[in-house]
Amino acid sequence: MTYYSGKDGTLTYNGTVVAKVSNWSISATVDTLETTVLADSDRTYVPGLRTSSGSATIFYYDEAAKPLLERIIKTSTVSESDILVIKLGWDTKLIQGSCIITSAELSCAVGEVMQASIQFQFTGAPTGVTL
Amino acid sequence: MSTAGPDFPELVPTARSMSPGDFAGKTFRSQSGVEARVQYGNKAFDKTMDLEYSNITEANAALIHDHYLACNGTLYYFNLLQKPKSGNETFHINDQSGSTSNRYSATPFGLKYRYAEPPQFNSVKTGRMSVTVKLIGVLDS
Repeated sequence: MTYYSGKDGTLTYNGTVVAKVSNWSISATVDTLETTVLADSDRTYVPGLRTSSGSATIFYYDEAAKPLLERIIKTSTVSESDILVIKLGWDTKLIQGSCIITSAELSCAVGEVMQASIQFQFTGAPTGVTL
Repeated sequence: MSTAGPDFPELVPTARSMSPGDFAGKTFRSQSGVEARVQYGNKAFDKTMDLEYSNITEANAALIHDHYLACNGTLYYFNLLQKPKSGNETFHINDQSGSTSNRYSATPFGLKYRYAEPPQFNSVKTGRMSVTVKLIGVLDS
């Protein structure tokens, strides 16, 4: 039996480990399609489409966050070439899939270490899951 | 007399709406506003029945599609069996009799159902579709 903590976590994009990650999270949901018909007394459903998305906060140490931020914060348009393979790992476990960076925030405040926050949306099914 | 098509598929709808139609007649209104109505027929007609099937399997959607084609579209009339009319057991009393208490039926009122328009098929996801069917109960010649 093993507990895991933040020191076990990693965030990888296209095979490169991102440095100075403060936290990451992932959320997966499945739509429900209602199949209730007349005369039923309880609602019935079947699974619909799945959505997976996540977020991460990265300290702006050197250029640790740059490869992720520049997917949408840039002078050129965002295209399909900006789709990344993101792997969220902890110890030997992982969740991996193609992702689009949907939000990138960079904050700078007095008395605080500058950090970047990103949100990403999985496109398609995860390509690797080890829980 | 029109041609009969196969019975409508035995599928319980997600939602159903019905309008009993109206009797043939004409309304005359004088300049004073007084109204007189002349009745031309003793049966209501153009009864409408709309059936919605949400998120049904493709196989069941195919049953409706193929039934529509088997009825030559909106031309042939057909019977609605029990399941498309189920769910309101006091409003629609007993599907097996020709009684006028079978309010979702057409036959007790001298009507026959046919498609009012082609059914609409919407793809929801792989394996699931939603279908809207509009029927009309007409006085058959």
